[in-house]
Amino acid sequence: MLKFEWKKFFSKGINKVILFVLLMGTVILGFVPVSRVQYVDVDGKKPTGITRITAGHRLVADKNRWQGELTPEKITNIAESYHEIMQRYQGDYPETEYGRTVQSYWDIVFWASSMYTTDIDGALANMNRLAEKDIAHIYDAYADNLQKMAEEYGNTPEQEKFLAEKYKEIKTPVAYEACDSWQGMSEYIAFYSLILVIVIGFLTAGIFEEEFRNHAELIFFTAKYGRSKAVRSKIAVGMLATTIIYWAGIGILLLISFVTMGLGGFDTPYQFEYPYSFYVITQGQSYLLIVIGGYIACLLSASVTMLVAAKMHTVKLAVSLPFLMYYGLIFLSRPLSKVTNVFCFTTDVLIDIDRALRHPHIFQIGNVVFRQVPFVIALYAIVSIVLLPFIYRSYSRFDDAKLPLKKQKQYARHSPVR
Amino acid sequence: MELRFKGVSKQYGDVLAVDNVSYSMETGVYGLLGVNGAGKTTLMTMLCAVTRPTAGEITWDGKDIFRLGERYRDLLGYLPQNFGFYPDLSVSDYMMYIASIKGIRPDTAKKRIKELLEMVGVSKYKGRKMKTLSGGMARRVGIAQAMLNDPKILVLDEPTAGLDPNERIRFRNLISGLAEDRLVLLSTHIVSDVEFIAEQIILMKDGKFFFTGTSEELTSGMEEGVWSCTVPSDKVNQYMQKYPVGNVKHVSGGVELRLLSKTPPSENAVREEATLEDVFLLYFGEKAGDEDAEI
Repeated sequence: MLKFEWKKFFSKGINKVILFVLLMGTVILGFVPVSRVQYVDVDGKKPTGITRITAGHRLVADKNRWQGELTPEKITNIAESYHEIMQRYQGDYPETEYGRTVQSYWDIVFWASSMYTTDIDGALANMNRLAEKDIAHIYDAYADNLQKMAEEYGNTPEQEKFLAEKYKEIKTPVAYEACDSWQGMSEYIAFYSLILVIVIGFLTAGIFEEEFRNHAELIFFTAKYGRSKAVRSKIAVGMLATTIIYWAGIGILLLISFVTMGLGGFDTPYQFEYPYSFYVITQGQSYLLIVIGGYIACLLSASVTMLVAAKMHTVKLAVSLPFLMYYGLIFLSRPLSKVTNVFCFTTDVLIDIDRALRHPHIFQIGNVVFRQVPFVIALYAIVSIVLLPFIYRSYSRFDDAKLPLKKQKQYARHSPVR
Repeated sequence: MELRFKGVSKQYGDVLAVDNVSYSMETGVYGLLGVNGAGKTTLMTMLCAVTRPTAGEITWDGKDIFRLGERYRDLLGYLPQNFGFYPDLSVSDYMMYIASIKGIRPDTAKKRIKELLEMVGVSKYKGRKMKTLSGGMARRVGIAQAMLNDPKILVLDEPTAGLDPNERIRFRNLISGLAEDRLVLLSTHIVSDVEFIAEQIILMKDGKFFFTGTSEELTSGMEEGVWSCTVPSDKVNQYMQKYPVGNVKHVSGGVELRLLSKTPPSENAVREEATLEDVFLLYFGEKAGDEDAEI
């Protein structure tokens, strides 16, 4: 049954077209991070044409000259080199110098500068004064700032303790490996997830609409399993298709990234990019959290649209819901989350995990302190699953008496509902 | 083996689609006759457990069909009036899907599908997409899907609607052949569909049964006689206003009418043997079926 429901899903002309366009879009999107790689070679030249494809690998190789623990000694060497170059060229070093030296450690200089301040703008402004700092005690300065963060964002003793414990988990010295591919991919996952929630919502809603669209509902509901196993297999196909489409898309993006930039830097701490995030994870893990958030968003989109389509027998309302749940809320919740915590738990957070990981949203119920990202992911994963029995119930208990009167009268006039 | 409905009504808002009907059916072919909007489809959807009656009960061997659920649907084969299918599936895949939701094992289903597609004459089109089939071909697949589970109850709603005359005859013979050892309920507004194959005929109008019986009982129960007479062309309208007129045929010297009347409508009128078409004309006040149904 599942096999033929699956076949039905993929035999639909509109589904084939949508999936083909999605595939093309995925491939194009996969190359966007590559096209945005800013690599300069030792001669000060930027790659052009086909050589841009391998620029990511060369950039990563250049940065990996500094691979390993970022000890105070190593940071001192880098800071002095940077300071010397800034002095020599009065802040305006040429492309050749950038390609030869600065490119390889610019990220490290910025990160090290961030150790002394929690303000990003301040970190940028202080980069060329890094050499003047007491770099031997850079990790002590960082620890002090982390303590200040815990005090600032911990609104209760429990929250402060929680934050302090999380920050203690940050390992120093930071182990560095260039992680440009993970950073590049993370930037586009939110956009990709936004497309997928709509596409998946449309495709899965169609599973529960097609009987009515094709006037096949009477045969379906009079079949032995038309109100039981057949409905379950529809739900299974919806969730399975969501899973396969989503992870296939992510797999394509990963493959392109692997080929063009490699996948090094998985274990580089997330704190190398965002030193004051209280999610003590690696770059690779942050990417996984972002894609898991996207996956749950797609599952939720599928569950909601299938439920509405099962109830309404049409996809018209169903397909508009993902727009509201994700596109609409994302614009509302960003400003409103500063006013009320409610908007820290809305569905749009699922496709905006990258942002949520950077922002110190922390909550407390009783003595239990929790963070936004795992809570939102767990909450909507549960909601996606909890909705499934309702989809089953709505569809399997089809009775025209529950339809709007206008549609009931169409039945009375001897025609199935159009 | 008895399908019984007792005091069954179905109301949609202010429309009473089926009005307190009671009947009992066993094996054999039952023809449900009525004009469009008589309530036939609503009754059939209730008998197929798609729609619940507003009042009354429907039982199969004494058990409520809605309580029987899967067990009842397992006995059921249904061809709705508007036979809907999945246009992008091939005939073979469509049949396999229906077989799967009817709970037929794949190996059994393959054999059964082969037999049925051969029986309805579409086996050579099994690889074609459903959407490429003509109306008649699709209808044949429709009856094949209804027969997949070898149903004890076969409900066919306007099975010949939209078919050309040849297909209609073929279909009628097919249904007649299927009727052994099962209950076939055939709903139609085309008299010729049921005249030759239905053992019992139910006339339905405004949601009610107003006659049930055999074709002979129906025709013999007519109070009006059936007359054939030739009248001048300019008097045709007068006759049509005065009598229910079945056939109008232009002949030399005037127009030959077949009409219903208790007394001879003209001096040259000849008494004819009543048919089911005449009964339909009498009770429903209109000619039975559409033009191509005259076979």
